[in-house]
Amino acid sequence: MTRSPARAPRLRRLAQATTASAAVAILAVISGCTRQSVDLGAADSDDVIVASISGEPDQLDPHSTTSYFAFEVLENVYDTLVEPDEEFNMQPALAESWEVSDDELTWTFHLREGVTFHDGSDFTADDVVYSYRRIIDGELANAWKLTMLTDVRAIDDHTVEIDVDAPSPTLLSALGGFKGVAIVEEDNAESGDITTEPIGTGPFAVDSARPGDSVTLKANEDYWGGAPEVAGVQFRYITEHNTAVAALRSGEIDWTDSIPPQQFGTLDKDQSLHIESVISNDYWYVAMNEAKEPFDDPQVRQAIAYAVDRDSIAQATGFGTSEVNQTAIPGSSPWAYDYAPFERDTDKAQQLLDEAGVSDLSMELMVTNEYPETVTAAQVIADNLSDVGISASITTLDFGSWLDRQGQGDFDALMLGWLGNIDPDDYYYAQHHSKGPSNSQGYSNPEVDELLDAGRVEMDEGKRHELYEQAAKHIVDDVSYLYLYNPAVIQAHTSRLEGYTIRSDRAVRFRDAKLTED
Amino acid sequence: MSDPNTHGSSTAPEAPDRSADTPRSADTPRSADNQSSQAEQTQQAGFFTRHPLLTFILRRILLTFVTLLGVIVVVFFLIQLVPGDPVRIALGTRYTDEAYQALQQASGLDKPLIAQFFSYIGSALIGDLGVSFRNGEPVMMLLLERLPATISLALCAIFVALLIAIPLGTIAGLREGGVIDSIVRVISQFGVSIPDFWMGMMLISVFALGFGWPSSGYTPLTEDPIGWATHMVLPAITAGVVSAAILTRFIRTAVIDVSHATFVRTATSKGLKHWTVLTKHIGRNALIPVLTISGIQLATLLGGVIVVEVVFAYPGLGRLIYDAVAARDYPLLQGAILLIAFIFLTINLLVDVLYAIIDPRIRIS
Repeated sequence: MTRSPARAPRLRRLAQATTASAAVAILAVISGCTRQSVDLGAADSDDVIVASISGEPDQLDPHSTTSYFAFEVLENVYDTLVEPDEEFNMQPALAESWEVSDDELTWTFHLREGVTFHDGSDFTADDVVYSYRRIIDGELANAWKLTMLTDVRAIDDHTVEIDVDAPSPTLLSALGGFKGVAIVEEDNAESGDITTEPIGTGPFAVDSARPGDSVTLKANEDYWGGAPEVAGVQFRYITEHNTAVAALRSGEIDWTDSIPPQQFGTLDKDQSLHIESVISNDYWYVAMNEAKEPFDDPQVRQAIAYAVDRDSIAQATGFGTSEVNQTAIPGSSPWAYDYAPFERDTDKAQQLLDEAGVSDLSMELMVTNEYPETVTAAQVIADNLSDVGISASITTLDFGSWLDRQGQGDFDALMLGWLGNIDPDDYYYAQHHSKGPSNSQGYSNPEVDELLDAGRVEMDEGKRHELYEQAAKHIVDDVSYLYLYNPAVIQAHTSRLEGYTIRSDRAVRFRDAKLTED
Repeated sequence: MSDPNTHGSSTAPEAPDRSADTPRSADTPRSADNQSSQAEQTQQAGFFTRHPLLTFILRRILLTFVTLLGVIVVVFFLIQLVPGDPVRIALGTRYTDEAYQALQQASGLDKPLIAQFFSYIGSALIGDLGVSFRNGEPVMMLLLERLPATISLALCAIFVALLIAIPLGTIAGLREGGVIDSIVRVISQFGVSIPDFWMGMMLISVFALGFGWPSSGYTPLTEDPIGWATHMVLPAITAGVVSAAILTRFIRTAVIDVSHATFVRTATSKGLKHWTVLTKHIGRNALIPVLTISGIQLATLLGGVIVVEVVFAYPGLGRLIYDAVAARDYPLLQGAILLIAFIFLTINLLVDVLYAIIDPRIRIS
């Protein structure tokens, strides 16, 4: 077959035309489908704090998300009626004052006047009622925190009454502990825009977002607590720790919490950075299945409590940043209870096992790769247990399967943590009351039940302290949970960033922060 | 569908002068149209023999489509291979009976397998890839949002790669066995072996910490061209260097092969200028294998360079896939795999077409 040479250029043109039109078509599809890009304005300014967090929020609806990344952003966008100070005492926020009725069953909150949402609409009592009803009626993520509420009503524009089913010393921490119970705007929530463009009353308003890259907030000049000192905050999603640290060192970002504990020591020596760590009110524990032999025997659980070496576990996971603890509540909390009956003692452990008539015990330790520290800790624990003749095998599961097996009670022992606790009720009730929803280990002690029930309705703080100390002593002695340690919150920022305070509840608040010239 | 061969043979006698070509034209999808008049059939047969390139392209498109269908089938069964219940696993701590029911219904996983299968194929073909398990947004939108960033990075990286590989590969090939050749071979060996993760970290250490270049993030070209360029440099170099190393080796081999060919000796002995021999004779002929591998490299880059995107916090497809795996967002993962397959097939198709333009021998054979 022959071919006239004149055809080649024509074919090339044809091919070019086809490629070009295909490219145009693809581009048209892309531009048609991407969200409209928004003018960043503030982001280009030098007065915007650039913070890097280690992942992208799944959504920005405070009532529905369970992602910590979302709450890092939302802490700056929303307000709650009351909010915890650094000692976890509840301070006025959207509510200026409150009082409790004589029968302790009705709380009256007097709301701050002149507060507006980011879109300019007024904040009123109806917004409070709407927000709580939305959480409770929609059975949203934090509905369980508000189970004591029986009614919420607006008395006038600036007064809200809340009825509770029993005297509730925990109501304030339930209503203000974190932004998962924030006050949202009805139109914003009902339209569904809240998942991407939430409107709150907080110090910063969501300005724009780039999926996969960042979300930018701009200062709310009308903020009731005074306008922030910076023009805005940009939260960037940097998954890789080393990249975040390099970006911090080069001044590309001003703040990050994406710091692995093993780097704390090195970064601490860097004069140009401020790195801080505080012990958080999270804790990690091991729970043994009390519905299964031989873990139904407290002596066996105590033997294991004597066998584990908390210091090694804390060192392996936190590299010296965390703090071992034999109760749940960290020493920095006003509710801390200094009680530590178990020091590592293999002889004692062996003796308890002998008394219980248990020998050649082999057990499964169930952990999840969702929390890699549990995998690391499990290796240390298994090694510790082998010293007393217990052979522990480690099963690492994805979190869904882990939760499934926990729910079905299909485990010997498991390790996990509880995060974001404030009130002692958060620490103990759900986990150790025989009817507690998270008591998957099956612990049942009528005395503890009584103490925890009493703590829930005792309005006198001194008496509550006593009740929870007694309860904690039983829980620790019976090894319902084998408490290990409280991990640290680690955050670093450049020396340009001033006025920022690291918090043990991991709330990231930029409203008082400012950027100075270098 | 009617059998195109039966159909073709029944019309064949009407065009006796083209009988040799008719069965071929019957292979093309258009002849399946049994409404066409005989005259049109005759004309079409003529059209296809007179336009072999178009026939070639149409055949390749058909083949691409069939392959894509195969990929969709495989991707569909991927989710069935997930151990345990994917919806349960995806929900994790968010699990409630209602959420489970809702998500299962939204993702169609409550229907019988066969119904799921056909509805998945049907929706995938019209671009509906379901909704993300993580936040309920349409998968197609999530993927398309990331495409501009990924296309930017892939084009810049392949540009970097060719910029390095063409001169190095050509010089090494022309000076086969020489000192320069050895140096290039050692360098390219290094380039292939360097983990891109490490390379990215090194570039960040040197250029971000030393010179204050941006080490992370992405700015759309339309918003801020300078910001786009500065954010592009380090990831493009990281992704480009690995591709460059691979391309250099291919270009070197291709140049060696062609420069040993007899037609090059003839051209040289004819007294043609060295440059003319290099560009017209060696260049064009060496281009064919180089084009293949460049196409594959570009497709790989377009599929998202996961490690590079994670290191540089770059919001492209690779990072999306990384996050989807971490969040066990199966529909998103399925969609991403499909999209990558689609990109691969499209680029292969384009490369094939380009072949035919560069080298007429390919389309005739």
